[in-house]
Amino acid sequence: MRRIQGATIAALAGLILAWGCAGPEGSGPSLSGLTGLVPLPGAAQPAAAIVTKAGAKAVDASRPITPSEEYYIGRAVCARILAKYPLSQDQALTLYVNEVGRTVARKSNRPDPYRGYHFGVLETSEPNAFACPGGIILVTKGLVRKCADEDELAAVLAHEVAHIVNQDGINSISRARWSEVLTTAGAEAARQYGGVAGNLVTLFESSIDDVFKTIVVNGYSRGAEEAADREAISILTRAGYNPAALASLLGRMGSGGGGIMRTHPPTADRLAKVKSQSAAAQPGKMEEVRTKRFKEQKI
Amino acid sequence: MRSIRGWRTGLGAAALAAALLLGVGLVWAQTLKVSQSNQQFYPEPNFASNPVGPAPVGAHVKVLETKGDWYRVEYQGKKAWLHRQAVPESPVFVPGQVGGGPVKQVKSDEVALAGKGFTAEVESGYRQKNPGLNYAQVDQIEAFRVDPGRLQSFIKEGGLNP
Ligand SMILES: [Zn+2]
Repeated sequence: MRRIQGATIAALAGLILAWGCAGPEGSGPSLSGLTGLVPLPGAAQPAAAIVTKAGAKAVDASRPITPSEEYYIGRAVCARILAKYPLSQDQALTLYVNEVGRTVARKSNRPDPYRGYHFGVLETSEPNAFACPGGIILVTKGLVRKCADEDELAAVLAHEVAHIVNQDGINSISRARWSEVLTTAGAEAARQYGGVAGNLVTLFESSIDDVFKTIVVNGYSRGAEEAADREAISILTRAGYNPAALASLLGRMGSGGGGIMRTHPPTADRLAKVKSQSAAAQPGKMEEVRTKRFKEQKI
Repeated sequence: MRSIRGWRTGLGAAALAAALLLGVGLVWAQTLKVSQSNQQFYPEPNFASNPVGPAPVGAHVKVLETKGDWYRVEYQGKKAWLHRQAVPESPVFVPGQVGGGPVKQVKSDEVALAGKGFTAEVESGYRQKNPGLNYAQVDQIEAFRVDPGRLQSFIKEGGLNP
C-alpha cells in the first residue's frame, strides 16, 4: 500500500521473497483492496447480510486483512519453509542475527507489527532470505556467508523488513480469494460458532499453497523489489549503518551463486538504482567494530 | 436490520451466535481501545512524522476519521493519528462514514464473529490437516528473546543510532 500501491505485485501471496530475486513484473493481481484504501462495506456489514450473500456472487473484498490475519498467514508460510530447510540451532548466531535485524526493524516505517519481528537462520548453504508476512524473517547461512560484514547483513535484513512493511506478500493475495474468505467467514461464524471452520481451513490452505507455487516460479515484481531497496537504504541510514552496503552486496551477488540466485539474479538495473540512491560512505571507526564482531561469528 | 439493538456486554457466545442468526446488525465503532504496547500518536498518518506522544495500552480513543491503515483520533482532548496496529482487533472503517452520522460502540468480539477470516482456530485446523509442517520451530523463532538492555548495548557498541 502506501508506496507500493501502484506497483503491480507479482502473485507472491505470503512469502516473500527470495532475496535478490527480481521476478517477472505484473504476473499477479494487484490487490489494493486489501490495504484499506478502497472504500468498501465491510466488517460493518450486518452478519445476516453476509450470510444471505454466501453462495451467491462473492461480495466485494470488504475489509483489508488484519494484522492478526497477516500474522497467521506468515506463521503458515514460515512453517512450510521450515519443513524444507531446518532451523539453525546455533544460539549465538541466532542472537546476532536478531540483534542486527531488530536494530534495523525498529527504524522501519512499521517498527512494531502485531507480534513483533523475529529472525531465524536456516541451515542451508543456498543463499536466500524470506520475509514471512507479519514479521518473521528467515535468512540462510549461505546468504550470511555471502555478506562481507555486519552492514551487508543489515542490508539484507532491512530489505526483508521492507517487504513486510510494504506488505508485498499480503498484497499479492488475490482479491477474489479474499472475498471468498470473508463471505465464508461471515457464513460460518453465524452457522457454527465455536467450531472449526472447515471451509476457511481449506481457503487458508489454498492461499498458502498459492504462495508457495508462486514463490518457486516467480518472485516479487520489479517494482516491489525496487521499493524494498529504497526502503532498505532509508532504514540503514536511519539505523546508522552504511547505506552503500546494499549496493556492495548486490554487486557481489551478481557474479554468481546457486539456488534462487541462479534463476533470479539481481539485475544490473536494480544494482544501478541502488548505487545511485546510496552515496558511498567512508567506513568509519565504528564500522570496523561492527565488522570485527561479524567476523567473530561462526557461520 | 441495521443496528437493531445495542450490544450488551454480558452476552455469552452462544447467545451472540443466536443473535447473529436473528439478524442483529453490526454498527461502526466509535471508540477503540489500544491493545498493543509501544504505540505512539502521530501528527500525520505516516510513521515518518515524529510521534507526538505515547498511546498507552488500555487507552480509549475516539475515532474521527480514517485514512488507509490510520485512524485520526481524539484522546484526552487532543487529536492525532494512530496506526491500526495499535488496535489490531478493531474493525475497519469505511472512509467517510465514521465522522458523520451517529455510530454506536461495538464489541470487537462481535466483529470477530461476523468477519474473522484467518484465526488461531483456522491455523489449528490447518495444522491438523498438514501434520508435516514445522510449527514447532515457528514457535521457537517467536519465543527467541533479545534482552532490551543487551540490544541497546549492541547498538551503542556498534556506533549505531539508538
Ligand atoms: Zn526482495
